[in-house]
Formats: sequence, structure tokens, C-alpha cells
Amino acid sequence: MDITNNTPLRTASSSSTTRDPIPQIVSPKFFLFPTHSQPRPTVVSASSAMDKQPSSFQQLEKLGEGTYATVFKGRNRQTGELVALKEIHLDSEEGTPSTAIREISLMKELKHESIVSLHDVIHTENKLMLVFEYMDKDLKKYMDTRPDRGQLDQATIKSFMHQLLKGIAFCHENRVLHRDLKPQNLLINKKGQLKLGDFGLARAFGIPVNTFSNEVVTLWYRAPDVLLGSRTYNTSIDIWSAGCIMAELYTGRPLFPGTTNEDQLQKIFRLMGTPSERSWPGISQLPEYKPNFHVYPTNDLGVILPQIDPLGLDLLNRMLQLRPEMRVSAHDALQHPWFHDLPQLQAQLQQQQQQQQHQMAGSYGGMIPPQQAY
Amino acid sequence: MAANYWASTQYRHWLFSREKLTEIREGFRARDQTAHSQFPLPDQRLLNIYFSQQLIKLGKRMSTRQQALATAQIYIKRFYTKNEIRHTNPYLVATTAFYLACKMEECPQHIRYVVGEARGLWPEFIAPDVSKLGECEFMLISEMSSQLIVHHPYRTLSELQPELALTSDEVALAWSVINDHYLTDLPLLHPPHVIAVMTIIVAIVFKPSQSSFHGSAAPLAGAMRDGGMNILAALGDRGGAGPPARIQKLISWLADSEVDIRAVIECTQELVSLYEVWEQYSEKHCKELLGRVVKSKSLDK
Repeated sequence: MDITNNTPLRTASSSSTTRDPIPQIVSPKFFLFPTHSQPRPTVVSASSAMDKQPSSFQQLEKLGEGTYATVFKGRNRQTGELVALKEIHLDSEEGTPSTAIREISLMKELKHESIVSLHDVIHTENKLMLVFEYMDKDLKKYMDTRPDRGQLDQATIKSFMHQLLKGIAFCHENRVLHRDLKPQNLLINKKGQLKLGDFGLARAFGIPVNTFSNEVVTLWYRAPDVLLGSRTYNTSIDIWSAGCIMAELYTGRPLFPGTTNEDQLQKIFRLMGTPSERSWPGISQLPEYKPNFHVYPTNDLGVILPQIDPLGLDLLNRMLQLRPEMRVSAHDALQHPWFHDLPQLQAQLQQQQQQQQHQMAGSYGGMIPPQQAY
Repeated sequence: MAANYWASTQYRHWLFSREKLTEIREGFRARDQTAHSQFPLPDQRLLNIYFSQQLIKLGKRMSTRQQALATAQIYIKRFYTKNEIRHTNPYLVATTAFYLACKMEECPQHIRYVVGEARGLWPEFIAPDVSKLGECEFMLISEMSSQLIVHHPYRTLSELQPELALTSDEVALAWSVINDHYLTDLPLLHPPHVIAVMTIIVAIVFKPSQSSFHGSAAPLAGAMRDGGMNILAALGDRGGAGPPARIQKLISWLADSEVDIRAVIECTQELVSLYEVWEQYSEKHCKELLGRVVKSKSLDK
């Protein structure tokens, strides 16, 4: 089977003429009748998600490079809609990367306003292209472009945290752990929406929970139980990450910027206090537990976060519990009184954003910083 | 994803009516009658038994989880709702389904290892070139529209165990009946919880008095044939005085549970007929017929 149009993405001019019917884009049917002369049976039945060709998107600038993918900004030629195109490199030694498979299959199931949506999956002969809704930047870049070293105002923080927790709650209700929440994986658009992206490390938590790999979650946002080598972690690991992100929204700096596993634990203990068998029954059984951990007293989080109000501090404390079973669930966190005045704040925020959009309208052209979080 | 089966791609895209499934298969036959008359194949269920046993062999050498084998079997079923088996190398499809299922169920195996093991089992049907498996995986994902998350009845069974106070023997029997249901079209026809309920009924009603169940389905099939249908009939007739207390309790739980009883009964019948067909199973016969298909088309290259 001759596959002719696996490259037109790069050339804008090839678009209008190459809108051929579906069979062209499907991977080689190498094991189907190689010497076969009858009309091919229509094995390529149109599965709706697969029938869009790369050429129906115009590829614009590169947004970022990840470990297994390159992300480009793109435009749907028919509708003009902006998209993010995540091009996945295929490796003959691995087949389709597990991370890509996990991400695609989970995104096919998870449809929610706080989760970046996967519009399409395009298979060509030698690559896989995921078409995501376009978001303007990731939370890290967003904070970097703000004055005051990235500290955000109260209303924005509350709104982002609410959306973050809604996205997490939805994942957890659907038995999905994200496992890699960090500002780079949270995407922001001009409407002030925040969505969870990059599900490359996510997994559906099925029956046995004890086979999880403990090599997940970027160090800074990694929960202490994972750092201590627990392999039976659950939804609470995403809540720890959300707590770290909340603190960072206030200060503009990562809460626990550890360099190694031990350093990460030490940074956590120095602030939160060193746990013991008394405060955390069973901790001494964890593989990375050391009886000679330096013993730090528990500090008040409010000291390093002078900007936070008492209700916000209460919620943060419930998320940043060392003991996983003590951490608040996403569902309960959303009910926390801190969020009660969100509707009023959001009205104010909308006003602000309208003003901002006016100011930004002129300068948005090619200024969008790279994003990797798709 | 098991929490919301009703929103899943499995429910939305991979649940068929019996008529639809027949129509698809008749379609394959109509499009290529020559191949169908030239290469007769055994009953679909016998082929399923064959491939399930082959997969178990493949999985055993790599100590794979049961659930990955189940997922692989579902992938094979889905693939063959889109492709005529006679146009494929089923050994390559099965190996690929296994490889992909292992990735999905988080017990990944290296591609070289899988190809090596598969070649050990079926040297004449699997090429040494690992890129073939990669390409086939790509195609399998594509044909399934990247809808790879599978809901299995095992989870429902585990969840219902405390609620119905199932003994470990009953759970073990129900579990093996779930394993068997992958040999039929049931996974494409009914939601996993209906299957799970069916297996629980089978386990409670046809309680295996002797432990000789494993490996041979005949005693169970016999029991289900002879006595079982009467009890199933009683499910529809709650006023009946007959069944013992344990079963009575199950019946009233079922009535409250809003599970589609008719579907459950249909599943049970499907299983009975599986066990009947099983008696004709011959591994050698399946292997021969499949071998002719693959060889004649040089699909093994």
C-alpha cells in the first residue's frame, strides 16, 4: 500500500489537494495479503477519530520538546481553530511508547472541562499525532511572565486551585491517578481556565495497587510516602502535589525544591516536622525510612506564606499532610469554606481579565512561550 | 476507569448487539467468499480456545498477570470485528495483542523478549524482525481507535464478594468462569457487571462439590444443563417455593439490583453452549487449518 501523504504537515501548500479518502492514512497492512490482487476488503472501517489527516492541520511553530514527543502549535485548516499537535516519535525497539499509549487511552476516556481535551489521534505510516485543544501557556510560564516573581493574586489563586482540584477529583472518580502534577503540566488559556495536561505518567488504578512503579512524580511535587518508597500509594499523591502547587502560587517559588530523594525528604521534614512511628504508624516499615532522620519540629506554614488567609492555610494544611491517609480528598477539598466566596471573586477576576486582554491583544502574535505539557 | 463504565469507550464503541455482530461477520464472508470456501476454519469459539491456550503458554513463560491475558483476548476480538481473520496472520495478531495488553496493564515486556518467546512457540509463523511487531501494534491501536482501556468483570466480582458473602471457593469458581467467558462473544455483547453476576450465579448455584473442576469444563456443563435451567427459571419466578435459602437470597438481591436478568440468563446459556462445543475441541485441527491460511498467503513473512 502506497502511503503518499505522511509528510504534508510541513508544507502549507499541499493541503487542499491531498484530502484523499481515509485508507491512505492508515498504517501499512503489512500482514494483509502482500501478494493480493483482489479488491482489498474494507478493513479500514472509518473509526471516526482516525479519519482526519495530518494535512488538515497547518503546522505552526514548535511549542516544546518532551521526552517522547514534540509539540507544535497548529491550525485546523477547515475551521481555523488553533490546536496543539503532539507528534510522537516511534522507536522500533519499543513500538509505540508506553507513555503515549497510556496518555492516549486515558484521554479517550476522560472528558472534562478541567482536563485538556484530545480532539483526534492521527496515525500515519511512521508517526502518531495527537491533536489537543490549544492552551496559551503552562502555569510555570504564566507565573514567570507575571510581575512580582510570579506571585498571583488571591482571586486567581483560588480560581486556579478550584479548577485544579476539579480536574483531580474527576480523575480520581474515574480511578485515574495523574502522578505527575506540576506547574509545567497545568495549562492556562486566556479565559483564565486551567486544565490538567500530560497524562503520560497517569494510570488507571486497577485491582492490584501494589505493583505501581515508585519512579513517578517530579521530585519537587512528590509525596513523602512515595519518597519513602511506598508502592501502595493512591489518589493522595496527587493531593500532595496540589498542595505544593498552591503554596507556589502564593510565593512564586517551589515549596520543596529538592535535588535528590534524600534532600527532598529533608526539605519536607524541615518544614513539616520529621514524622515518627507515633505520628505516622507504619512509617518505619517503608523501604527508604531511616531511623536516624534528623528530627525537625513542625513549623507553621503560615510563617513562610504570610500572604495566605486563615481559611486558605487550613485547606493547605489538609493537603500537605505527611501521612497519606490524613490528606484531604479532592472531592472534600472542593467543599472547603475557602472556596465559598469564589463566585464573587470570579466576577471580579473576569473584569480584570477583560482589561488585560485589551492590553495584550496587540502583542500576542509570536510571543507564546513554549509549552510541553500536552 | 472502572468507576464509570457507562461513560467509557468500551460501552460507547465496543458493545454490539448479537445481530450487529452477525452482520459484521456475514459481511466478511460476502466480501471474500473464495477465501471462506478455500479456507474453512473451526467454530469461532474453538479458535478462541486455541488462541487463549496459546496466549496462556506465551504468558506463562513471562509470568504475566491474568488481567493482561484477558485484555489481550479482548483486543483480538475487537480487531476481528474490523478485519477478516483469513487476511491476517493470527499468530502475529495474538502476539501483538499480548504485547500491547502488557503495556496497558503495567506489566510491560521488552519487544525482543516477546518476539523471542513467540518464535519459540510458533517458529514458522513469527518473523525474527521485531519491527513487524511494532508495526502490527501500531495498526492494532489504530483499528481500535486508541480505545485501549478495558473494563473486566474481575473487578465487579471482587466488589460483590463481601456484599454477597461469597466464599473463597465460590470466588475461585466465578473467577474461572470469567476466564472462560473470554472464549465466547460475551465480552462484546454484555457489560462486565452482567458477566460478573452471571459467574456468581453459576458459582453459587452449581457449587463445585468436588475440586475437579479445573481443567475440565464437562462436569460444570453437565450440571448446568441438567439442573441449572430450572433454577434459572426460578429467577424469574420469585414466588416459587423451591430453591434453598442461599439461592433465594441471591434471587432477591438480583431483583433489587436492577441487573438485567434476561441478559444474565442469556450469558449462562452462552456459556453452556461453549462447554458443549468445547468437547469437539482439537488443538491439532485448529493449528492445521490456521496454518493453511497463513502459509497460503505467505502472511508469515
